[in-house]
This record gives sequence, C-alpha cells and structure tokens, in this order.
Amino acid sequence: MWRVFAVVSLLICSAASAADLPSEDSAQGWLTKMATALRTKNYDMSFVVLQPQSTVEPYRWRHAIVDGKEMEHLSLLNGPGREMVRIDDKVSVFEPNVPAYSQQSDTINGPLPAILFREPLDLADAYNFVLVGRSRISGRATQQIRVICKDKTRYGFNLWLDQESGLLLKMDMVDQSGKIIEQVQVASLSVTEKPADIFQKIEEEKLPDIVNNSIAALPEHKWQLRWLPQGMNEVRRDTHRLSVTGNVIDYILYSDGLVDISVYIQDDYPGESNKNLYRHGAETYYSFHQGNLEITVVGKIPPQTADRMAQSLAIEAN
Amino acid sequence: MTQQKYEKLSAWVDGEIHHDGLVDDLKNDAELMQKWQGYHLVRDALRKETPDQLNFDIAANVAAALENEPTLLAPKKSTWRDWPVVGNVIPLVRNAGQFAIAASVATAMIIGVQNYNQPKDVETNFESNSGFSGLGVQGGLSPVSLEQSRALPRQSVQEQQRKIIAFLTDHQQQMRRKTTELEHNNPQQVTENETEQAEVSPK
Repeated sequence: MWRVFAVVSLLICSAASAADLPSEDSAQGWLTKMATALRTKNYDMSFVVLQPQSTVEPYRWRHAIVDGKEMEHLSLLNGPGREMVRIDDKVSVFEPNVPAYSQQSDTINGPLPAILFREPLDLADAYNFVLVGRSRISGRATQQIRVICKDKTRYGFNLWLDQESGLLLKMDMVDQSGKIIEQVQVASLSVTEKPADIFQKIEEEKLPDIVNNSIAALPEHKWQLRWLPQGMNEVRRDTHRLSVTGNVIDYILYSDGLVDISVYIQDDYPGESNKNLYRHGAETYYSFHQGNLEITVVGKIPPQTADRMAQSLAIEAN
Repeated sequence: MTQQKYEKLSAWVDGEIHHDGLVDDLKNDAELMQKWQGYHLVRDALRKETPDQLNFDIAANVAAALENEPTLLAPKKSTWRDWPVVGNVIPLVRNAGQFAIAASVATAMIIGVQNYNQPKDVETNFESNSGFSGLGVQGGLSPVSLEQSRALPRQSVQEQQRKIIAFLTDHQQQMRRKTTELEHNNPQQVTENETEQAEVSPK
C-alpha cells in the first residue's frame, strides 16, 4: 500500500516538474526576464569590475533602441580606455595601439558574458540555477540567483537582478570555497523611456569597416582534448602567431557560454618537464611541459581543471 | 533574634549596610551560611544571571571529596629521566631541537623573502610593457606556486613573463573575436563536435 502511494506521489512530482515551465518566480523566469530587459530597455549604467587584490575597472554602459535598431555603447573609463559601439550586429572597437575596426557580432564582448544577453537557459547543460532570495543592491530591491556548476570544474556565479526591470545589478564569480574571484557591481542605473542623446550623435557611416578575421589557410592541426568540463564546447581551432612573441602555436578555443578557455599547443619546444601556474586576477595561466610539447591553458577556471584538460591532450587518430 | 539576623544579612547582601561583625557570624553559623547562599541565588534568579548549571553546594561537595580522599603514601615511580645516561642525553636533544627550529625558521625566512620578491619582479615587468593592452590598467601577475625551487636566472624569468603576457594577451584577443565566430560557425561547429565525439566514444 505504502509502496503504491510512494510511486504515485513520485509520478505526480515528476509530472509537476516536467510541466514546470519558467514562470515569473523561478530562477529560469528571472534569467529570461533579464535577457529580455538587457536587449530591449533603454538604460544607462556605471559598473565596476573588481578582482580582489588585482584590478579595478570602471565602465559606463548605455543601451537603447533607436528607430527599431539596437544600439549599445560600452566605455572603459580608466587609463587609455577602450570604446565599443554596437549597432545591431556590428561592433566597432576603438582601443589604443590598434587601428579602429569593426566586427560582426550581436553582442559586445565585454566583461559580461555574452550568453546572459542571448539565451541564459542554454547554460542548463552545465549549470544549475537556484533562486536564493531578495536583497538590496545599488539602492534597489533585487532578486538573487545562484548559478552553480554541475560538475564543479568551474567557478560559480551569483547574480542580483533588479526586481523592477530585471537588469543585472551585481555579479560575483566565486570559487568552490565561496571566495570571490571577480565581481561586477553596478553603481548607478537609470532606465528611461527615451534613448540617451549620445546615440543620436553616432554617425553610423563613419564607423570602421568590418574586418575579415579569417587567416591564411594553414593545414588544420589534429589536437584533441580527451576530457572537457561538462557543457564545454569547442568554438574554434586554428594555427596562429602570438602577437607579442611571434611564436606560431596551435590553438583551440573552448566555451560554455560563461567561461572561455584557450588551449595552446606548441610542439618542438625543447626544455625540461615542468608545470607553471600563475593567476592574473580571475584568469588562470597554466602551462604543462612534457617532452617536446608545451601545452598552455588560459581561462577563468580552477587550476585543477586546467591541469586535467592539459593532461588529456591527444592527437586525433585520423 | 534569628529573624533579625536574617534581615541584617539580607540588607548586607543587598549592600545596604556595612557590618563587619556579620562576616564573623556568618563563618561560624552554618544556618546563616545557607541563608546567604539562598539570598544570592534568589538575587541571581531575579536578575536572570543564574548559570546554565546550578551546583547548589560546591563547597560542601569539595569538602566531602577531600574528606574521603585516601592519603597517598606510596613512593614515586622512577621514570626514565632518573636513569643516569638518559637523564643527561634528553636535555641535550631538547637543546638540539631548539637549534633545529631556529634553523628552519631561518630557511623559511629565506624562502619567504624569495617568494615575496618574485611577484614584484613580475609586476614591474608588466608595467614596463606599455604596449600591452590585454591586461588591466594596473595589470600584474601574482604567482600562485612556482614549482621549481631553484632560482631562475634573471634572463629566463623575463622570458617566462614575456611568454605569459603573450598567452594572456592572445587569450583576450581570441575572446573578443569569439562572438563573430560563434555567429558564423556555430551550426558547423556543432556538427563537427558531434562527429568528433562519435569518433572518440567507441575507443
């Protein structure tokens, strides 16, 4: 009798969870609300990217819909600066030491992960979303959501979304022990009916042309990683030259949407076997040297994950 | 008489009167002692200052325990310290231990100083590299662990740092380029990944 009851109640539970579409008051519902708000509202915010004991980078970020076009301007306020302007799917980048250029993209690749603007729910493969509670951030009532990595190979995130507009007000990247590694904190936010004046001043015709990133065709390398964190996918592979040293390296870029990992393989590199590990802010630099091969992994991941990835390198059979 | 005594005691406990003779009375009168304890307990309870565990009569318990304690008359057992040779060796060893500790502290200091100096080098090197736009304005590296214990020659440390900068810069550049690639290559990439996985899985 009890067994039957248990089975029935289990069935009811699973049916209920299957029918549980993202509602307004679930973590999924909030993330969807955020993504929509980030793409459709007219807002002007200042935020700071903090890496404890390392850097502080203040940004100003404006977004608007002007005549049906999505326009966005992100500006780094310290030092020589970096300005990025996006009009629909064209991003123009102005930074020191590099001639201005444009590239085709429907999001600015800034300090905030692009997937938050697109389809945050795509992260469900690798991350769990948990609705935590409410608190006050930047003088506003917010809803907190935790994004937890399922296989614990990557850092977790805490997001605070504005209760009213759904916009992102704070984001913490935390390691397994709960220590903050990187923090994005909005200092001021204004959401307006009308787009900001600055967008009227942008002369679209004067923006630089889209550059073609494709590199001269080199025979594609055959390196493979046998182990990848769950939900991590290969985005691109090529062979290119490092701009600083001029060394030619084989390269693979992996991403799960929130975190990007670069893997560099340099063969014919004499030297003794060793491992090197550096942390630059949230970025882990890990190089693993074995025989004539040097594997370097760079990304915002725990060193253990970088090590495991580097160790799993193999050459594809065919 | 007793009633009067109790009232006096109560006043004394409350700090209202000073009466030196009362202390002597108290010492000689078990009943009065009992009362004194009772008053204090009442006061503590009223002020909610009673301890978690109430031991009503510690003094009596200790006195009783002492009373029942048998007197030890057995001689002390001899220990290894009393053996002639060992007794001399042990202090020597102990002193040597102190020296060892001092020495290890010195080593730790040296290692500490080396470790402390290295990140400084790294930072100055990063700052001097002004053409480097990938890192933050106040960019710098903090080494987490250097697995080689020997000191690297300065030349190779610089080389190492240059290499790290090269990789970090490239990583930033690649990340910035990513969206473009995602837009164009995504469908193709997915199929590629699937075929790769299919190839790997039978092994």
